[in-house]
Amino acid sequence: MAANILIVGCGRLGAMVATALVDRGDSVTIIDTDAENFRRLAEQPGLSMIVADGTSNEDLRRAGVESVDVFISLTAQDTVNALAAQAAQLTFGVSKVVCRINDPVRREMYEGLGLRTVSPSQVMTDLVLEAVER
Amino acid sequence: MYVIVIGCGKIGYHLTRALLASGNEVVVIERDARRAESAIEEFGSIVVASDGTEPTVLSEAGAKRCDVLISTTGADATNLVACQVGKWSFDIAQVIAVVTDPDHVPLFKTLGVDVAVSTTELILSHMEEELTGGGVVHLLPLHGATATVVSVRVPPGSPAIGQELSALATPPGATLAVVIGKDGQPRTISNGLRLEAGDEVLAITPPEQEDELWRALTGGA
Repeated sequence: MAANILIVGCGRLGAMVATALVDRGDSVTIIDTDAENFRRLAEQPGLSMIVADGTSNEDLRRAGVESVDVFISLTAQDTVNALAAQAAQLTFGVSKVVCRINDPVRREMYEGLGLRTVSPSQVMTDLVLEAVER
Repeated sequence: MYVIVIGCGKIGYHLTRALLASGNEVVVIERDARRAESAIEEFGSIVVASDGTEPTVLSEAGAKRCDVLISTTGADATNLVACQVGKWSFDIAQVIAVVTDPDHVPLFKTLGVDVAVSTTELILSHMEEELTGGGVVHLLPLHGATATVVSVRVPPGSPAIGQELSALATPPGATLAVVIGKDGQPRTISNGLRLEAGDEVLAITPPEQEDELWRALTGGA
């Protein structure tokens, strides 16, 4: 079933995830503090791009956080992702929240606090090890 | 006490000075190289030029034996993560965050930050007091309790003036702590104590009974 998804951070990763979700049929809003970063995306139905700050409750509300099914925080900064994701989860009650956390110790801590985290550096490490062993 | 201060901007700088002057052991962590350099000139080797949200940095700064961590940067996200790492990874007893966006205060508290200081709220509450001469001023949230230490000034003309404290309709959940007279002298709470105009009443009260307390002491409006 198509979901309503809000993504924070339109870097390379955020843009790729947004495109993949829209292709899958989901309805995606992506926000970034820098409009420049939206150059990575083509305008298409099912995708809205809004200049907004993921660490501001007011901006999150403006981006529709109160009516999304899934919230994904993918900026390059762990701190921004952690604040945005925890606000989505606790202040706005979004049921599914995914958060990018690069630092392994912080990642373990946030998993322990109930956040679903992903770590690009961890994924890359696993892939590199796998390639080396093959 | 051993205190870790994160961020050596205006707040962090003056806080570090004050903490050192009152005999505390302090380490201050500043990520910006230029700011760290000027902090080193003033404070010497207690300055660490690094990122205070990094667990490895906090570990090297001795977070394990730290009593209080205070994160004072201008970024709420940084202050939240520094406090959470301090609390959950290093078990620091008291973690304090400066909060720029007052919207974040309840969230920070839910997430384990012991004290979330919103500079905006502080200024507003002082302004309200100065401008209206009234209102309930929040002095201190009590950790682990759903009550706050508040202050209410008894205005001239309040029906509470001259009454014995026991005769006032203060709400059941509110505990009066002390009365400070216009001369600045504290008076101990007793049933027979009579309020005077200009008295400041400090009380501990749950938020939902603030209005009732305020009406009892000021006569409302």
